[in-house]
This record gives sequence, structure tokens and C-alpha cells, in this order.
Amino acid sequence: MGYTNVRYYVGGMADWVEGCGPVERVESPAVPRQPARNIQPSSPRRLAWANCLGILANWPLEQLVGFWLGIIIFFGLVYWIAGIGMGWGLQAGNATVKPDLDGLGTAIYFSFVTALSIGYGDVIPLGPLRILAVTEGIAGLLIFGCVISKLVSRRQEELVEEIHRTTFEDRLDRVRTNLHLILSDFDAIDQINREHSALPGLVLRRLESSERVFAGELKTIHDLLYRTRLLPEEDALESLLANLALCLTALIDLLNSQPQRSAALDADLKTISNLANEICGECVPRTYAPALKRWMDQIQEMAKRIA
Amino acid sequence: MAKVQAKETVTSGQPISRDEILSRLQDPAFMLVNVMPKETFDAGHIPHSINLPVAEIEKKARQVLPLLDREITVYCMGST
Repeated sequence: MGYTNVRYYVGGMADWVEGCGPVERVESPAVPRQPARNIQPSSPRRLAWANCLGILANWPLEQLVGFWLGIIIFFGLVYWIAGIGMGWGLQAGNATVKPDLDGLGTAIYFSFVTALSIGYGDVIPLGPLRILAVTEGIAGLLIFGCVISKLVSRRQEELVEEIHRTTFEDRLDRVRTNLHLILSDFDAIDQINREHSALPGLVLRRLESSERVFAGELKTIHDLLYRTRLLPEEDALESLLANLALCLTALIDLLNSQPQRSAALDADLKTISNLANEICGECVPRTYAPALKRWMDQIQEMAKRIA
Repeated sequence: MAKVQAKETVTSGQPISRDEILSRLQDPAFMLVNVMPKETFDAGHIPHSINLPVAEIEKKARQVLPLLDREITVYCMGST
């Protein structure tokens, strides 16, 4: 490339991490790290309480239930304390609830009855406490609604996870099958090439078409290695890489015996070479068994011989 | 092809040690180039290093590294 002053860090990232050097990460929004959905309040005109609901909806179930109980007890304490200093408080029957231990029990009981929207009516709030009681009623209902919907959505999330996994396995199968078809196609082109009675340009056309499909499959494999949350099973991946190596071998032989090129073909070959080159045993974000690494190295080796 | 060229440049260049990199991390004239694919770069890289995947060397090298005689340090995942 013309660069004259290039130095090389021999150990690379592995050595750096081993020496506990500082590592920087880039958060990529394309691959979500947690399966939990985040409900984002999108429109800025939503009311403040609607935003609070959004925040509540992101909490885990246990935290939500704990929060609900906490609110009830907090309100109960407020009712009880209100009965001490102020003239108003709760009323049970005809008597005002006294600010003693018995009163505390009654206050908390009233708090529960209000939050669960039961409302027996044996204990009633007086004066400004009524506003508080109504607020507690609303809050209790909303939080309870959140809790119920979380329970329901748990099952849904399990189902979605299952669908993702099935789709992923289908994709893996499809790529394997396509690689086999591409291999057959390369062999067929080779056959046509040997029969010198082939029409000029026919071989080139078929080659171009196969190249394009091959490049597409390589892109899918690249995504499978780098961009998925789900781990492909090692033997499925190994058979996939083996098939890929076969295709590349067939391609190299074909290119050697078939000197015709075109601009489109060269562009495709370059793409294929680059993508295959990036299937690097050390660069993929997970560590694989040595057998897979050997396949990846082989594929990289062949990638150099293509372009 | 690009990788072969890069390797030729690489094996004829001088090695650099981890300690030297550590000491020169804050140096603004120190050019650290990561040649791994973008996703691997995102997952973790040495601070102040730039990403230039091997596949894009030909296209983007001139933009990212305009000066030919400036000192650049290249690294990958391991001893590739």
C-alpha cells in the first residue's frame, strides 16, 4: 500500500487482555443484550404519570410486588400519623381511630382495603385524608394491573424466544442446503467448460450467477458467526464450514481452468474473498473448538487464492 | 489479496511491545490500527485505536491514514 513506517503488535488483543490493559467497548444497538423489552415513551406530549407507568412496566415482577406492598404500608403509616397530630384521621364506626398500636393495625388494614379496591366501609377517612385514600386507590389499581400483565407476558416472552430459536435453526439448515446446491452448480459449470462445444459466454454467465448466490450465502454465514445472540451448535457449524471449504475448493479449481473474467465477476470474487477472509478463527467473538478453528483457517487460506 | 499485502508489510515491520503501547496510549501522534471486523472491534478494543477491517484496507486506508511515512501500529486478535 505504500506505507513505510509500520509496526506490529505481535501479541494482539489476546496479549493485551492478558496483561490487563484498558479495553474500550462500543455499544451496538443492533444486537440487544437483554431479552427484556424496554417500553420507551416515544411522544414528548405524554403526561408525566404515563411516563411513570412506562418506568414501572420495566421493573421485574418481584420488585413491582415489593413496591406495591411498600406503598400500602407507607399510606397506612400516613393515615395513622395523621390521626396523632391533626384533628382528623380515620373513623371506625362512631369513634375516631386512636393513635396507638391498635390504631396502627386499623390504619394498615384500611390501607390494604383501599388499595385492593375492596372498600368495606367499616373504617372511613375524614377530611383531607379522603384525597389521600382516593390516590391510594388509583395507585393500587394501576400497579396491580402492571403485575398481572407482567405475569401474562412472561409466557409470551418464552414463546417468542422459541420462535427465534426455530427460525435460527431453519436458517442454518437453509445455508447448508444452499451451499450444496452451489457446489453442484460449480461442478456443472466445470462439466460445460470441458465440453468445448459450449456457447461462448455461457460459462461466464453461469459463473457470474453462481458467484452472486455464493456471495449471498457467505454474507449469511458471516452474520451467523458475528451477529446472532443464539449460539449455533458446534457440529452444525462444523458441517457448514466444511461445506463452505468444499465450495471454495471447487471454485478455485474452476477459476484456474476457466480464464474468462468480467467486471461483475471480478467484483463478486472480491466480495467473496473478503467475506471468507473475515471468517477468522481468532476474530470471531466466541471461542470455538479447535476443529472449527482449523476449518476457519483453511477457509481463510483459500480466500487469499481467490482474488 | 489485501491480507497478503498487509501481511507482507507487517512481517517487514518492526514489532512493538505491550509496555510501549501502554506508555504511549495518551500520545496524540500514536496511531493504533485495529484490523479485525467491525463486530469484534465493538466487542472490545484498545482505547484510542481505530478500526480498519482487512477487507476495507484498500478502500479506506487513504482516508484514515493519509500520510504514508507516519508511524502506524497494527494489531489483530492474536498472533495472526
